[in-house]
Amino acid sequence: MRNLFIIALCLVGLSAKAQLFATQTGEVSFFSKTPMEDIDAVNKQVGSIINSATNEVAVQMRVTNFIFPNKLMQEHFNENYLETDKFPSSTFKGKIKEAIDLRVAGTYAVTAAGTATIHGVSRPVELKGTIVSTGKTLNMHCQFDIKLDEYKIDIPKIVFAKIAEVVKVKGSFQYNIR
Amino acid sequence: MRNIYIAFVLFLGSIQLQAQDDLLAMLEKEDAKQTNYSLATFKGSRLINGQTVETIAKQHLNFWISHRFGAINSGFIDNFLGLDEARIRLGLEYALTDRLLVGAGRSTIEKTYDSYVKYKVIRQSNKMPMTVTAYGSIASNTMKTGYTMESGTVMRFNNNLQRQTFMGQVLIARKFSDKLSLQVMPTVFHNNLAENVYMENTQAAMGFGGRYKLSNRLSLSAEYYYNLIEKDEYEEASGQKYPYHNSLAIGFDIETGGHVFQLHVTNSRGMIEKHFIGQTIGTWQNGDLFYGFNMARTFSFEPKIKK
Repeated sequence: MRNLFIIALCLVGLSAKAQLFATQTGEVSFFSKTPMEDIDAVNKQVGSIINSATNEVAVQMRVTNFIFPNKLMQEHFNENYLETDKFPSSTFKGKIKEAIDLRVAGTYAVTAAGTATIHGVSRPVELKGTIVSTGKTLNMHCQFDIKLDEYKIDIPKIVFAKIAEVVKVKGSFQYNIR
Repeated sequence: MRNIYIAFVLFLGSIQLQAQDDLLAMLEKEDAKQTNYSLATFKGSRLINGQTVETIAKQHLNFWISHRFGAINSGFIDNFLGLDEARIRLGLEYALTDRLLVGAGRSTIEKTYDSYVKYKVIRQSNKMPMTVTAYGSIASNTMKTGYTMESGTVMRFNNNLQRQTFMGQVLIARKFSDKLSLQVMPTVFHNNLAENVYMENTQAAMGFGGRYKLSNRLSLSAEYYYNLIEKDEYEEASGQKYPYHNSLAIGFDIETGGHVFQLHVTNSRGMIEKHFIGQTIGTWQNGDLFYGFNMARTFSFEPKIKK
């Protein structure tokens, strides 16, 4: 009986390990179109983990890793808008609502409900996306809108025309089992 | 048996629980391994008169326009509190890489051309407590020989080599918080021709500076250069008072889109090291203060990122 118990424990331990899909090189980009100029930036060092046993998802990124085509814009983004010294990272933590097993190959439309933390403000969000699973790897794409005022990102009146109030965010993640 | 069963269920539960909380914690652990550099220790590549540790982004060009008006104590009728006249420096600096820039400028004072190189040697990060930048410049005085300096000395040049000044500086700064950054600037410069036989050609100085952010776009900055020259020796040898003083400047940095405006009050009218460290005529005690501004406009020559 005792041996069986130990074996069971080991199995549980093993499966718990194999349940994780992870990446450190996920891409998140955002785009905002304004009459004056288009602002787009991409972060290629986004970390994310999906636990396929519980279908939980976590995403974490350093805001300073967003690369802008214009360095001055990048500095303003970090210094003035996202205040990265105070709030260095943005995160998402949630759970895929659909009852799916990502270890089974296939294409899944998913909805992840959870909490997004941006600029130190946490809000409940629901992200829609698709996951293509090969059983060993996952490829996730998602897209969502961020309203700047919901996250207390303060845009001064003079540059208001330059920055849209709603920013389109795209995510693209290639997970490997770990 | 029953106990084991309960323990087993609890254990399973705890694994699940751990896995839940751990996803973000795991990511944060990964993240902590990366090197994260501090951004924007100072807003501009200049503090007030002197430099900061900052360089500008690759393929960006800064155009600096600096003015120092006349002394505030020079009279309202005579000189409109100094605003009737100004000493100007126009400068350009271009970044070859994110850490290396070259620049050149021309000052009204002694019709001086200056050119310089600035290189960010060490960058502050979660693994490094400070930023260190090396800065070197050459300044060339192009006044007609035999002109009278502000100190009253008549300067005569026998050849062009005597017109040159070489300057080297190490800037060490730390961003202590999002608001406070402090900097020390050990400096040495060499005038090929000293004003008189008693004055040293090579002078060393220690600079201290810092900024405190009052808001996201406004910060208070201050800068002090202590000239390490032996003034007593000079006075003993020459029988005259040492004509120059240490430089102190206090000002505000205001940032808008692509500009940095620096408004300040200083007892120096020079805007390059040889002038403000070596030839500051005014003193704060006597109210010989000069109101001035620096304005930087940044241009980007970076090709647009291909989609």
